[in-house]
Amino acid sequence: MEDQQTPPVTNQLENFFNISFDEATRTQIKQAAVWAKVITLCAFVGYAVVLVVAIFGQSAYSPDTEGLGGYVHTGNMVGVILSVGLGVFINYFLYRFAVATAKGMDNMDSIKTNEGFNSLRRYFKILGILIIICLSFVVLGILVAIFAGLGRS
Amino acid sequence: MENNQDDSLLQMHLDYDGGHILTETVRWSRFLAIVGIVGLSICLLAFALAGTAVLAALSKLAPGLDTLAGLGSAIVIAALLVIFAVFVYVVYMLYRFSVLTRKAIDQQDQTILAEGMKCLKLYFVISGIFAILGLLGNLLTITKLFNS
Repeated sequence: MEDQQTPPVTNQLENFFNISFDEATRTQIKQAAVWAKVITLCAFVGYAVVLVVAIFGQSAYSPDTEGLGGYVHTGNMVGVILSVGLGVFINYFLYRFAVATAKGMDNMDSIKTNEGFNSLRRYFKILGILIIICLSFVVLGILVAIFAGLGRS
Repeated sequence: MENNQDDSLLQMHLDYDGGHILTETVRWSRFLAIVGIVGLSICLLAFALAGTAVLAALSKLAPGLDTLAGLGSAIVIAALLVIFAVFVYVVYMLYRFSVLTRKAIDQQDQTILAEGMKCLKLYFVISGIFAILGLLGNLLTITKLFNS
Protein backbone atom coordinates (compact mmCIF):
# COMPACT_ATOMS: atom_id res chain seq x y z
CA MET A 1 0.00 0.00 0.00
CA GLU A 2 2.80 2.35 0.92
CA ASP A 3 4.51 1.60 -2.38
CA GLN A 4 1.53 2.98 -4.25
CA GLN A 5 1.77 6.39 -2.59
CA THR A 6 3.03 9.06 -4.93
CA PRO A 7 6.14 10.87 -3.75
CA PRO A 8 5.82 14.56 -2.89
CA VAL A 9 5.68 16.77 -5.98
CA THR A 10 8.66 18.83 -4.89
CA ASN A 11 10.92 15.78 -4.90
CA GLN A 12 10.14 15.21 -8.58
CA LEU A 13 11.54 18.60 -9.49
CA GLU A 14 15.18 17.68 -9.87
CA ASN A 15 16.33 21.25 -10.48
CA PHE A 16 15.20 22.39 -7.07
CA PHE A 17 16.33 21.89 -3.51
CA ASN A 18 13.74 20.70 -1.07
CA ILE A 19 13.84 24.04 0.74
CA SER A 20 11.95 27.17 -0.12
CA PHE A 21 11.86 30.82 0.83
CA ASP A 22 8.82 30.73 3.09
CA GLU A 23 7.14 33.76 4.62
CA ALA A 24 9.47 33.93 7.64
CA THR A 25 12.61 33.59 5.53
CA ARG A 26 11.38 36.15 3.02
CA THR A 27 10.70 38.65 5.82
CA GLN A 28 14.21 38.18 7.21
CA ILE A 29 15.79 38.59 3.78
CA LYS A 30 13.72 41.69 3.01
CA GLN A 31 14.77 43.29 6.29
CA ALA A 32 18.39 42.36 5.61
CA ALA A 33 18.06 44.02 2.19
CA VAL A 34 16.64 47.20 3.74
CA TRP A 35 19.57 47.47 6.15
CA ALA A 36 22.06 46.63 3.42
CA LYS A 37 20.63 49.56 1.47
CA VAL A 38 21.02 51.80 4.54
CA ILE A 39 24.68 50.74 4.79
CA THR A 40 25.36 51.50 1.13
CA LEU A 41 23.60 54.87 1.25
CA CYS A 42 25.61 55.85 4.34
CA ALA A 43 28.78 54.71 2.58
CA PHE A 44 27.98 56.66 -0.60
CA VAL A 45 27.20 59.83 1.38
CA GLY A 46 30.38 59.34 3.40
CA TYR A 47 32.47 58.95 0.25
CA ALA A 48 30.87 62.06 -1.25
CA VAL A 49 31.75 64.01 1.90
CA VAL A 50 35.35 62.75 1.81
CA LEU A 51 35.63 63.74 -1.87
CA VAL A 52 34.19 67.20 -1.22
CA VAL A 53 36.61 67.71 1.65
CA ALA A 54 39.52 66.43 -0.43
CA ILE A 55 38.74 68.67 -3.40
CA PHE A 56 37.43 71.85 -1.83
CA GLY A 57 38.40 71.71 1.81
CA GLN A 58 42.19 71.27 1.71
CA SER A 59 42.89 74.97 2.09
CA ALA A 60 40.57 75.15 5.10
CA TYR A 61 42.84 72.95 7.22
CA SER A 62 46.13 73.54 8.87
CA PRO A 63 48.76 70.82 8.42
CA ASP A 64 48.43 69.71 12.02
CA THR A 65 44.67 69.16 11.77
CA GLU A 66 43.56 66.00 13.54
CA GLY A 67 40.93 63.45 12.55
CA LEU A 68 39.44 63.03 9.09
CA GLY A 69 40.56 66.46 7.87
CA GLY A 70 44.15 65.73 8.81
CA TYR A 71 43.95 62.41 7.05
CA VAL A 72 42.65 64.06 3.89
CA HIS A 73 45.22 66.83 4.06
CA THR A 74 48.24 64.61 4.55
CA GLY A 75 46.97 61.91 2.23
CA ASN A 76 47.60 61.93 -1.45
CA MET A 77 44.71 63.22 -3.55
CA VAL A 78 45.10 60.26 -5.90
CA GLY A 79 45.00 57.93 -2.90
CA VAL A 80 41.75 59.47 -1.69
CA ILE A 81 40.13 59.13 -5.12
CA LEU A 82 41.34 55.52 -5.44
CA SER A 83 40.05 54.65 -1.96
CA VAL A 84 36.69 56.25 -2.68
CA GLY A 85 36.51 54.48 -6.06
CA LEU A 86 37.27 51.13 -4.46
CA GLY A 87 34.72 51.76 -1.71
CA VAL A 88 32.03 52.71 -4.21
CA PHE A 89 32.86 49.63 -6.32
CA ILE A 90 32.52 47.31 -3.31
CA ASN A 91 29.36 48.94 -1.97
CA TYR A 92 27.76 48.89 -5.40
CA PHE A 93 27.52 45.10 -5.12
CA LEU A 94 25.89 45.41 -1.70
CA TYR A 95 23.44 47.90 -3.18
CA ARG A 96 22.66 45.50 -6.02
CA PHE A 97 22.09 42.74 -3.45
CA ALA A 98 19.68 44.99 -1.56
CA VAL A 99 17.70 46.04 -4.62
CA ALA A 100 17.58 42.72 -6.50
CA THR A 101 16.85 40.57 -3.45
CA ALA A 102 14.06 42.83 -2.22
CA LYS A 103 12.53 42.81 -5.69
CA GLY A 104 12.93 39.03 -5.95
CA MET A 105 11.28 38.47 -2.57
CA ASP A 106 8.39 40.83 -3.34
CA ASN A 107 7.66 39.31 -6.76
CA MET A 108 8.57 35.71 -5.81
CA ASP A 109 11.12 35.91 -8.61
CA SER A 110 13.91 33.37 -8.15
CA ILE A 111 16.01 34.84 -10.98
CA LYS A 112 16.11 38.24 -9.26
CA THR A 113 16.77 36.56 -5.92
CA ASN A 114 19.68 34.59 -7.38
CA GLU A 115 20.97 37.80 -8.94
CA GLY A 116 20.80 39.48 -5.53
CA PHE A 117 22.61 36.68 -3.73
CA ASN A 118 25.18 36.61 -6.52
CA SER A 119 25.90 40.27 -5.81
CA LEU A 120 26.25 39.46 -2.10
CA ARG A 121 28.66 36.65 -3.05
CA ARG A 122 30.73 39.12 -5.10
CA TYR A 123 30.65 41.64 -2.24
CA PHE A 124 31.98 39.10 0.26
CA LYS A 125 34.46 37.76 -2.29
CA ILE A 126 35.96 41.18 -3.03
CA LEU A 127 36.21 41.92 0.70
CA GLY A 128 37.87 38.55 1.24
CA ILE A 129 40.37 39.09 -1.57
CA LEU A 130 41.20 42.58 -0.25
CA ILE A 131 41.77 41.13 3.22
CA ILE A 132 44.05 38.46 1.76
CA ILE A 133 46.05 41.16 -0.08
CA CYS A 134 46.29 43.28 3.10
CA LEU A 135 47.37 40.27 5.18
CA SER A 136 50.00 39.43 2.55
CA PHE A 137 51.41 42.96 2.85
CA VAL A 138 51.43 42.65 6.65
CA VAL A 139 53.30 39.32 6.46
CA LEU A 140 55.70 40.83 3.91
CA GLY A 141 56.28 43.83 6.19
CA ILE A 142 56.99 41.56 9.16
CA LEU A 143 59.44 39.49 7.09
CA VAL A 144 61.21 42.62 5.83
CA ALA A 145 61.44 43.94 9.39
CA ILE A 146 62.85 40.62 10.63
CA PHE A 147 65.45 40.46 7.84
CA ALA A 148 66.34 44.13 8.35
CA GLY A 149 66.82 43.41 12.06
CA LEU A 150 68.97 40.37 11.29
CA GLY A 151 71.04 42.40 8.81
CA ARG A 152 71.86 45.05 11.41
CA SER A 153 72.88 42.57 14.11
CA MET B 1 -2.09 17.10 2.39
CA GLU B 2 -2.97 18.29 -1.09
CA ASN B 3 -3.20 21.82 0.21
CA ASN B 4 0.28 21.49 1.63
CA GLN B 5 1.55 20.31 -1.72
CA ASP B 6 -0.14 23.23 -3.46
CA ASP B 7 1.36 25.65 -0.95
CA SER B 8 4.71 24.04 -1.52
CA LEU B 9 4.34 24.54 -5.27
CA LEU B 10 3.37 28.18 -4.83
CA GLN B 11 6.42 28.91 -2.68
CA MET B 12 9.65 30.05 -4.22
CA HIS B 13 12.02 27.10 -4.09
CA LEU B 14 15.76 27.36 -3.98
CA ASP B 15 17.05 26.13 -7.34
CA TYR B 16 20.51 24.66 -7.93
CA ASP B 17 21.92 27.93 -9.28
CA GLY B 18 20.71 29.67 -6.15
CA GLY B 19 22.05 26.88 -3.96
CA HIS B 20 25.45 27.07 -5.63
CA ILE B 21 25.55 30.87 -5.24
CA LEU B 22 24.50 30.63 -1.59
CA THR B 23 27.13 27.96 -0.92
CA GLU B 24 29.88 30.17 -2.29
CA THR B 25 28.52 33.23 -0.46
CA VAL B 26 28.62 31.23 2.73
CA ARG B 27 32.21 30.15 2.07
CA TRP B 28 33.45 33.74 1.72
CA SER B 29 31.39 35.00 4.64
CA ARG B 30 32.86 32.26 6.84
CA PHE B 31 36.34 33.34 5.79
CA LEU B 32 35.53 36.96 6.63
CA ALA B 33 34.05 35.95 9.98
CA ILE B 34 37.12 33.89 10.92
CA VAL B 35 39.46 36.73 9.91
CA GLY B 36 37.25 39.07 11.97
CA ILE B 37 37.43 36.83 15.03
CA VAL B 38 41.23 36.57 14.73
CA GLY B 39 41.54 40.34 14.17
CA LEU B 40 39.37 41.15 17.18
CA SER B 41 41.37 38.73 19.32
CA ILE B 42 44.60 40.47 18.27
CA CYS B 43 43.04 43.86 19.07
CA LEU B 44 42.00 42.65 22.52
CA LEU B 45 45.48 41.26 23.14
CA ALA B 46 47.10 44.51 21.99
CA PHE B 47 44.81 46.53 24.23
CA ALA B 48 45.49 44.26 27.19
CA LEU B 49 49.26 44.47 26.72
CA ALA B 50 49.61 48.12 25.70
CA GLY B 51 46.33 49.85 26.48
CA THR B 52 47.76 53.35 27.08
CA ALA B 53 49.78 53.37 23.86
CA VAL B 54 46.79 52.10 21.88
CA LEU B 55 44.55 54.79 23.37
CA ALA B 56 47.11 57.49 22.51
CA ALA B 57 47.30 56.21 18.94
CA LEU B 58 43.51 56.11 18.66
CA SER B 59 43.16 59.67 19.98
CA LYS B 60 45.13 60.92 16.96
CA LEU B 61 42.53 59.40 14.64
CA ALA B 62 39.50 60.24 16.77
CA PRO B 63 40.06 63.40 18.82
CA GLY B 64 36.94 62.72 20.93
CA LEU B 65 38.80 60.00 22.83
CA ASP B 66 40.91 62.68 24.56
CA THR B 67 37.83 64.03 26.29
CA LEU B 68 36.77 60.48 27.15
CA ALA B 69 40.13 59.88 28.81
CA GLY B 70 39.36 62.70 31.22
CA LEU B 71 36.38 60.76 32.55
CA GLY B 72 38.60 58.10 34.00
CA SER B 73 40.28 55.02 32.67
CA ALA B 74 37.60 52.67 34.03
CA ILE B 75 34.86 54.34 31.96
CA VAL B 76 37.04 54.35 28.85
CA ILE B 77 37.85 50.68 29.28
CA ALA B 78 34.18 49.85 29.89
CA ALA B 79 33.12 51.81 26.78
CA LEU B 80 35.77 50.11 24.66
CA LEU B 81 34.73 46.71 25.99
CA VAL B 82 31.10 47.40 25.08
CA ILE B 83 32.14 48.44 21.55
CA PHE B 84 34.36 45.36 21.35
CA ALA B 85 31.47 43.12 22.47
CA VAL B 86 29.23 44.58 19.77
CA PHE B 87 31.91 43.92 17.15
CA VAL B 88 32.24 40.34 18.42
CA TYR B 89 28.46 39.94 18.12
CA VAL B 90 28.51 41.23 14.53
CA VAL B 91 31.27 38.83 13.53
CA TYR B 92 29.54 35.98 15.36
CA MET B 93 26.31 36.67 13.44
CA LEU B 94 28.22 36.51 10.16
CA TYR B 95 29.76 33.22 11.25
CA ARG B 96 26.38 31.82 12.31
CA PHE B 97 24.87 32.89 8.99
CA SER B 98 27.54 30.95 7.13
CA VAL B 99 27.30 27.86 9.31
CA LEU B 100 23.49 27.69 9.45
CA THR B 101 22.92 28.42 5.77
CA ARG B 102 25.47 25.77 4.77
CA LYS B 103 23.78 23.32 7.12
CA ALA B 104 20.34 24.21 5.73
CA ILE B 105 21.48 23.54 2.16
CA ASP B 106 23.20 20.30 3.10
CA GLN B 107 20.32 18.97 5.20
CA GLN B 108 17.55 20.63 3.12
CA ASP B 109 16.15 22.12 6.33
CA GLN B 110 13.71 25.00 6.07
CA THR B 111 13.93 26.07 9.72
CA ILE B 112 17.72 26.29 9.72
CA LEU B 113 17.64 28.40 6.54
CA ALA B 114 15.29 30.87 8.24
CA GLU B 115 17.67 30.97 11.24
CA GLY B 116 20.62 31.62 8.94
CA MET B 117 18.82 34.46 7.19
CA LYS B 118 17.89 35.92 10.58
CA CYS B 119 21.59 36.03 11.43
CA LEU B 120 22.32 37.76 8.11
CA LYS B 121 19.62 40.31 8.95
CA LEU B 122 21.10 40.93 12.41
CA TYR B 123 24.56 41.31 10.86
CA PHE B 124 23.24 43.96 8.47
CA VAL B 125 21.14 45.69 11.16
CA ILE B 126 24.11 46.20 13.50
CA SER B 127 26.42 47.10 10.61
CA GLY B 128 23.80 49.59 9.45
CA ILE B 129 23.61 51.22 12.89
CA PHE B 130 27.43 51.46 12.89
CA ALA B 131 27.32 52.97 9.38
CA ILE B 132 24.79 55.63 10.49
CA LEU B 133 26.86 56.45 13.59
CA GLY B 134 30.04 56.59 11.51
CA LEU B 135 28.44 58.92 8.99
CA LEU B 136 27.13 61.19 11.76
CA GLY B 137 30.59 61.20 13.36
CA ASN B 138 32.21 62.16 10.06
CA LEU B 139 29.71 64.93 9.45
CA LEU B 140 30.22 66.22 13.00
CA THR B 141 34.01 66.23 12.60
CA ILE B 142 33.77 68.08 9.29
CA THR B 143 31.35 70.64 10.72
CA LYS B 144 33.74 71.25 13.61
CA LEU B 145 36.68 71.59 11.22
CA PHE B 146 34.90 74.10 9.01
CA ASN B 147 33.77 76.11 12.03
CA SER B 148 37.23 76.21 13.63
